[in-house]
Amino acid sequence: MNDELQMANGEKDPVGSSAIRHSSFSFLNSIRWRLQIWYGLILVTVLIGFGFTAFQLDRGRVYRQVDDELQRRAGALSQLLRPPRNRGPQGPQGERPFNGSPEDQMPPDGPPRGHDFNVGPEGLREFHLPPMQARLFDETDTNSYYFVIWRRDGSELARSTNAPVDVRDPLPRPQAGEREPAQDNAAGPPENRRGPPPPQPSQMRGVFRESEIIMPPGERILVGRSIARQLADLRLTALMLTGVGAGILLLGLVGGWWLASRAIRPIEDISATAVKISSGDLSQRINIGETESELGRLASVLNSTFARLDAAFAQQQQFTSDAAHELRTPVSVMLTQTQTTLNRERSAAEYRETVESCQRAAQRMRRLIESLLELAKLDAGQQQMKQVRFDLAQTARDCVTQIEPLAATRHVKITCDLPSLECVGDSERLAQVITNLLTNAITYNRENGDVRVKGETTNGSVILRVSDTGMGISAEDLPRVFDRFYRVDSSRTSGNTGLGLAISKAIVEAHGGQIEVTSQPGIGSAFTVRLPVA
Amino acid sequence: MRILVVEDEPDLLRSIAQALREEGYAVDTATNGEDGLFSAENSDYDAVVLDVMMPKMDGWEMLARLRKTKKTPVLMLTARDQSRDRVRGLDTGADDYVVKPFDLPELFARLRALIRRSAGQTRNVIEIGDVTIDVAGRHVVRGGEAVPLTAREYALLEYLALHRGELVTRTTLYEHLFDENDSTMSNLLDVHVSNLRKKLGTEFISTRRGHGYCIE
Repeated sequence: MNDELQMANGEKDPVGSSAIRHSSFSFLNSIRWRLQIWYGLILVTVLIGFGFTAFQLDRGRVYRQVDDELQRRAGALSQLLRPPRNRGPQGPQGERPFNGSPEDQMPPDGPPRGHDFNVGPEGLREFHLPPMQARLFDETDTNSYYFVIWRRDGSELARSTNAPVDVRDPLPRPQAGEREPAQDNAAGPPENRRGPPPPQPSQMRGVFRESEIIMPPGERILVGRSIARQLADLRLTALMLTGVGAGILLLGLVGGWWLASRAIRPIEDISATAVKISSGDLSQRINIGETESELGRLASVLNSTFARLDAAFAQQQQFTSDAAHELRTPVSVMLTQTQTTLNRERSAAEYRETVESCQRAAQRMRRLIESLLELAKLDAGQQQMKQVRFDLAQTARDCVTQIEPLAATRHVKITCDLPSLECVGDSERLAQVITNLLTNAITYNRENGDVRVKGETTNGSVILRVSDTGMGISAEDLPRVFDRFYRVDSSRTSGNTGLGLAISKAIVEAHGGQIEVTSQPGIGSAFTVRLPVA
Repeated sequence: MRILVVEDEPDLLRSIAQALREEGYAVDTATNGEDGLFSAENSDYDAVVLDVMMPKMDGWEMLARLRKTKKTPVLMLTARDQSRDRVRGLDTGADDYVVKPFDLPELFARLRALIRRSAGQTRNVIEIGDVTIDVAGRHVVRGGEAVPLTAREYALLEYLALHRGELVTRTTLYEHLFDENDSTMSNLLDVHVSNLRKKLGTEFISTRRGHGYCIE
């Protein structure tokens, strides 16, 4: 019971940990999520920037409109408060002493203009709005423009009925003694006297927008209005901008997710295929929908890589299986021979026969193993070919001399046509190739047949041709004679390993040359070795 | 029991044939598919041991051609143990296969089973009256006592026992018990029959004059 529990735990654990790995992978490391986060961030930044700017512009426009209206009205009021100019343009300007107190100057500067003004020593006493200006202020509407005018001493001169009660003179009034310099500053430079003095920047007070003008002598005109409606409009605009922004953000995120998914899908296909391949199924290929995109190109490159891997792997497998297969027969011989012989007492001659046949089997295995090792080295490029200048014709003649005894047993005549064949390479390895070709030419020849060895040097290459008068090779076998373990007659006779031509080909190709075969069944075959001169 | 061995490796062929002969089989040999097919088509073998990789005609093709005329049990010797090769062999009509390198005892056991099955016998032990023949162990017991038999005698008894109730002609017996190499002295059928009668009882094998022998 306990064991079962432990087993169950043991089995669960790896599953759990892999699930955790997977979940952490899918979120933080997922390219799709990272793309999505970047999309989101960029989109939010752009939308906030855009929305904020739009809102600021709109608010500025609304305020400017209101301010223009306020200033127009304040200007109109200030015109009313300005004393009439009875001394001509030059007079007051030139005479106005900069250091003079405004109270002293005010009377000559500003006598009352008709019915509107009553100027005392402290400034205006009364103020009545003339009908022309009254049209600018609808005093019955609390949302309309209002005004308040203060005298120099801070007391109220006039106030429109719709002005909010909490509108007070905002500036602290200086006490009598210290008034002059402050007043001077407030009045501004004397050059501005001619037009209406510049209005102070408009300010917000609650929902009211107010603009002030301080007249040179010290009267302050405040014009304001409630902009609650405009503010509400602005809030609505802000809300709308936020709403539209959120909508765009949502749309952008959904679109981004879709785009990212679309962009990622080929990668997921590639990844899924790669997983299958890594688990051993080399026949898998990535399904390429669009071949033009970067990922499509990547996928086709990967596919061709997989195909080559698959082929190489299959070839390797075939080779291993062939090699094992080749070793099976000699092992079978040895096993059967020894088992049969050991079954009962035998004569010395029988034992001898058994041992000899075991020796033959062992020799065959040795040849096979040597050939396999040689091929493996040639495959790995480990066998360095010497680069020595030598005469291939001499090498060929040596090979012919060595093979003569074999030719004699088959009554095969070898004729040579070998002019000097200067080339660079490994004479020993090339001798191996020539011997192999000669052996084949003799083995697969008919009795009393001929073998011709012919050499020539043509532009840039040395050519050695070994031709026989044997059975020839059929057209279907011809392309495969250089394949490993390929035997035309699918037998294992005459002790050949089925690797000779494969090894020859590898050696010739390691020299930068080629080996070719032509054959006519029933007439004979010709193997041509072509090597670069130097 | 007469067996044809078709194998292109001479050492292997020789040792298989020798081992089978020592087991009491009559053995013919062929070194390629063409010769093998000719022999198999023209004699009634009890089994054929057939190598797959051979010159001229490989084992697959020889088997396919043989199956057009004969139902002789065939045991394939294959150097490839990939299942598609085995499947192909069995589908082409092979009755069994042995993968190289093999153990001789296994090869013999499979051959015995093959021959037994083709004779319609499923058990390894054949009981006839008080005589019990153990086909696997190749020994005979009569009334609780082992009966010593020569290889020839045993082969004759086994053949007749496997075809119990059938009339087996002398020609058939010659064909199944002796191979091409047997000398005239060893193929004296009458001598073997009378020896068997001495050891197992006169009534055990009945003679049909002019036709052959039969175990009832």
